[in-house]
Amino acid sequence: MEIDLDKILQTYAAESAEHLSKMEEALVALEADPEDDRLLEAIFRGAHTIKGNSASLGFSKLAGFAHAFEDILQRLRSQAVPVNRSRITLLLRAVDAMRQLVPQAVAGRDELAPGYMALLDELTNGGSTAQGNSTASTPPKNSVNDKTVLRRRDETQAWGEKKGTVRVDTARLDRMLNLAGEIAVAQGRLHQALPPRGISGEEAWEAHEQVERLTLGLQEEIMKLRMLSLGPTFRHYLRTVRDVAQAHGKVARLELEGEEIEVDVSVVEHLKDPLMHMIRNAIDHGIESAAQRQALGKDPCGHLTLKACHEGGNIVIQMIDDGAGLDRGRIIERARRMKILSEPEKLADSELFRLIFEPGFSTAAAVTDLSGRGVGMDVVRRNIEALRGSVAIESQLGLGTTITICLPLTLAIIEGFGVGVGNETYVLPLHAVVECLQMPSDANPHGGQGVIELRGEPLPYVRLRDWFQLPRANPRRENIVVVEVDQSRAGLAVDSLYGARQTVIKPLGKQFESLPGIAGSAILGNGRVALILDVAGLVRAVMRAHRGVLEPSRDLPALVQGFGGPSVTECR
Amino acid sequence: MDQNQYLTFQLAGEEYAVGILRVKEIIAYGPLTTVPQAPPALRGVINLRGSVVPVIDLAVKFGLPASPLTNRTCIVILELDLNGEPTVIGIVTDAVDQVIELLDDDILPVPAFGIQARMDFLRGMGKAGAKFVLILEIEKVLTAAVSNNGAASASEPARFVAGANATIAYDEKA
Repeated sequence: MEIDLDKILQTYAAESAEHLSKMEEALVALEADPEDDRLLEAIFRGAHTIKGNSASLGFSKLAGFAHAFEDILQRLRSQAVPVNRSRITLLLRAVDAMRQLVPQAVAGRDELAPGYMALLDELTNGGSTAQGNSTASTPPKNSVNDKTVLRRRDETQAWGEKKGTVRVDTARLDRMLNLAGEIAVAQGRLHQALPPRGISGEEAWEAHEQVERLTLGLQEEIMKLRMLSLGPTFRHYLRTVRDVAQAHGKVARLELEGEEIEVDVSVVEHLKDPLMHMIRNAIDHGIESAAQRQALGKDPCGHLTLKACHEGGNIVIQMIDDGAGLDRGRIIERARRMKILSEPEKLADSELFRLIFEPGFSTAAAVTDLSGRGVGMDVVRRNIEALRGSVAIESQLGLGTTITICLPLTLAIIEGFGVGVGNETYVLPLHAVVECLQMPSDANPHGGQGVIELRGEPLPYVRLRDWFQLPRANPRRENIVVVEVDQSRAGLAVDSLYGARQTVIKPLGKQFESLPGIAGSAILGNGRVALILDVAGLVRAVMRAHRGVLEPSRDLPALVQGFGGPSVTECR
Repeated sequence: MDQNQYLTFQLAGEEYAVGILRVKEIIAYGPLTTVPQAPPALRGVINLRGSVVPVIDLAVKFGLPASPLTNRTCIVILELDLNGEPTVIGIVTDAVDQVIELLDDDILPVPAFGIQARMDFLRGMGKAGAKFVLILEIEKVLTAAVSNNGAASASEPARFVAGANATIAYDEKA
């Protein structure tokens, strides 16, 4: 019997990575709550399992390392030594080391490089002294910085979750399997009920409806497979905040809210960089040093909160810190020096703070290793906008800053509203639709555009049939879909309204990139392709075609506001 | 062996050939979804088992009138490597003929005139029995610049660039 060694090693690597992640989380939690014995137990169990597995695979050096780790845990459990910051730091470093040692061993190199030997010594000795000589053999300060933290995370990702794969809840798979089975049964009923065998048309119809219902259910389950909860991603940052704070000589803790919120897998991937930058910024520039905070009457430990919630068709993620807040005066001064605007002091707070996202903009007095160059926040905004999202900042001097990210719930699926124009069907994102109404009978039936009255206000509309240059079909009663773009309302005149349904977005390809107003495509129930309209792009294109020329003075505030993409007020 | 095999088809009164390795499948012409404001050579998009595939009328690319639809009209689905990215597209054909084999000796240079298609779109003329077939350099055809009337020209910036990018960036300068 051949033993598939490769498979065993892969399982070992994936499981070890999981254990190490759990241990890391527990260590950070333990620092905040040193009395919690269950955390100690969890960490001990993790180390013990890794030791056992490594030994049975013949990785004796790695097993020895895990053993030293276990020893310290044992001393903590028996309360021979207390839990303190330097001990936790040491153990966290050991976890990082094991993260490297496991893949190394799997690749065939079970050995301890000098750096790790030194760490092993520390583990063996450092557990017994109260402070440990962590300062002596601590790696130089800049290596415990964000680059290392980032790299560590990337590597665990490689072993924990392969790119392009998702972890699926088995309960979900079971539901899908059941649905598939029931569909088969219902189809059998249909088969029996249809002519020439079956006589009753009603029977056939009932069976058909059952199949339809089950199929829709199955489709929904499959679409949900792409959703991941934010929890694992957020929990990674618990340690990041601790480490980054320590690297800057500050103390800070992260709290999480909304971990259970689910988001499409692609969105999760794209969130990681922006969140990382925001955390770095908050700790580097926002949170004051422990001494300063104490002098101000604040808790010496800075508080960061990462919150997620659903709102409308979006997911809202907030990073809240109770640090120094944004200094309006400094931003104005910097804006003047950078010559972005001539009268920055005239801007309201919300627009002024948006300047932070400008490339090269930084009011930091000193440039540290990775913050202060004015690079991070620009990346944040660009990444979020690439996901069709928006970013906004609120802040109060001395009290703290809140950064709010608003993202569409999934890049692959939207709530779509179908409309008929000529012979074609188009889909509008449902969250863009404000209301629908019938075209008033006295409206001008000719011309591509017009204005109607809607509750006392003028509503300009554009006939999609004309804008898209579709052949003139016989217009029955037309309908107007009211949409909101850049805080003003416009109407899209269409022939028929088909209602809302979940729509899977299909990519169109680069050929279609320069077409304003088209955001993608979707496949309808009848198998035909429907184009998804980019409502904002479409309306802006109509406005520009109408205006002909860009008016600089009036457009400037819009440009400043436009930094963040669609207005955040849409999400509230 | 396979790289000497070609699928021959008719288009605008001429017989063309394309390497069989690029041909994914052949389907009947069916209802397309038109894309507003797309270049004229782009007839529309279709649903191919869940993928949205653009369908191109090569006749329009060559500066000729659009292909008329008959009951022999087919769409040939090709899988190409455009600018380093694998792309699936369909081309409209008046009729599909057969698969033939052409060795290097059977391929002659394209004559200097008398052919409707542009010279750089063709790899050569293949001798298939008594007939000649025009062997298409299909990647060149699709990456060629497209002018406003749809006919290919050398001067304007190319709009037909392949890719599978899902998000459409809104171009402020358009």
